[in-house]
Amino acid sequence: MKARWILLVVALAALMSGIQLYAHHSFAATYFEDKQQTVEGDLVQFLFRNPHSFVHVEGKDEKGETIRWAIEWGGGGQLGRQGVTRETLKPGDHVVIVGNPGRNPDDHRLRMLRLKRTSDGWTWGGRPGESFD
Amino acid sequence: MSVYRAGCVVLLVLLGMVLSDNPAFAQVDFSGEWSPRFYEDEPERVPGPELGDYLGLPINDAARERADTWAASIQSMPEWQCRPHSADYIWRGPSQLRITKEVDPVTRQVTAFHAEWLRSVDNIYYLDGRPHPSANAPHTWGGFATAKWDGDMLTIKATHLKEGYVRRNGVPRSDLATVTEHWMRHGNWLTVVTIVEDPVYLTEPFVRSTDYELDEHQLVAPYPCDVVEEVEQGKNVVPHFLPGTNPSLKDFAAAHNLPEEATRGGRLQCIRNIGRNWLQCLRLGRNKSEIANWKFFHF
Repeated sequence: MKARWILLVVALAALMSGIQLYAHHSFAATYFEDKQQTVEGDLVQFLFRNPHSFVHVEGKDEKGETIRWAIEWGGGGQLGRQGVTRETLKPGDHVVIVGNPGRNPDDHRLRMLRLKRTSDGWTWGGRPGESFD
Repeated sequence: MSVYRAGCVVLLVLLGMVLSDNPAFAQVDFSGEWSPRFYEDEPERVPGPELGDYLGLPINDAARERADTWAASIQSMPEWQCRPHSADYIWRGPSQLRITKEVDPVTRQVTAFHAEWLRSVDNIYYLDGRPHPSANAPHTWGGFATAKWDGDMLTIKATHLKEGYVRRNGVPRSDLATVTEHWMRHGNWLTVVTIVEDPVYLTEPFVRSTDYELDEHQLVAPYPCDVVEEVEQGKNVVPHFLPGTNPSLKDFAAAHNLPEEATRGGRLQCIRNIGRNWLQCLRLGRNKSEIANWKFFHF
C-alpha cells in the first residue's frame, strides 16, 4: 500500500515537472504489454539515441539457439535525465533483462522493463521514475 | 443622443484604439511555450493505441483494410525510424509545443506563426495572403498552410500533406486529405480543433479537439534522430499481414468487453432492443451502395 502511494506521488511529480514525453510508435501495437519475458546474455551493442535507444544482447532461446535480442529503451534525452548515458553499458557486459515481448516473434524484440548487469549489480527499472514512454 | 455626440463617441473609441498598444482588430498572440494536456486521450496519445481500435474513426473499408494488414514492425524500417508526425496528427502527439510568430518589420503585422513540437518539422501558417501552390507541388510532413483571423480565432487550411495516419495503429490518412484547424486561446489555455477531410479513407470529416496549457518554464529540447538497425529484419522484407491473418485485431474488443463490430470504425447506426438484450447495427458507407449487412450483437 505504501509503495502504491510512493508511485502515485512520483507519477504526479513527474507530471507537474513537465517531464518530456515522446513516443514515435505505439507500444501497445508493438508489444504484448500483458506478458513478460526474461533474456540473459552478453551485450553486443548499445544504441543510445532518439527516438528510442536499443540494447542488443546475444543470448540463448528456449531451444538453446543463440539469438540476437533487440531490447527497446527510452530516448536519449529521457534516459539521460535518469542518469543513463551512452557510456553506461558496454559491449561484453553480461546482463539480465525483463521486458514485454514483441508481437512479431521474428523481430526478437522486447520493451525494456528492468535491466541488471551481473558484474557489479547495476540495475535500471526498479526505482521510481525508471520507466519510459 | 444626437448624431454629433454619437459621432464623437465613435471617433474617441477609434482614437483610443490607434493610440493604445493593442491591435485595432481582434487578434490573439498564440506565441509561447505550450504543454500538452491529455485527459481522457492519455492512453492513445502517450503509450499509444491498441491494435484493432478504430473506435470513433469515420473510416471506410479501404482504410480498415490498410489498418488490418499493418504490422507495427514496419516502424523499425530505416525510412520509418525518424519520420515525424504529420501536421494533422502532431497535435495528438505527447510532446511539448513551441509557437513563434513572424512580424513584418515595417507594418508590424503578424505575417506567420510557426509551430514546432519535440518531434515535428517546423509547421508554418502564413497570414500574408499568399495562395496555395499548384496541386503538383511537393507534399511535405507539415503541408502548406495558410491562416486567417476569424475574430479572436485563427482558422487554418492545410494542403499538400504527405500520407500520414489518423491513429498510430495503422489507420491511414491519404496525401489528398486537407486539414482545417481552429486555434482558440482562453487565457493560458490553447484549444485547437482539427478537421481532417480525406476523400480516400474517410467517409466524413474527422473532428478532434486538443488542449495545451501555457508553460513559461518549458524547453523544447533538441531532437537529433539516428537511423540504425533497430532489429534484425531480412533484406527486402516489409512487415505486414495478409488480409485475414492479423491475429491481434480482436484483442482490443475482448480486453474492453466491447462488441467487435463496434471497434471497427466507420458510421455505424444501431438500434438497441433493451427487452431482448440485442443490438442491431448497420454500417453506413459513403453512399447507399456501400451499405453493409445488418448485424446483430447480443450483450
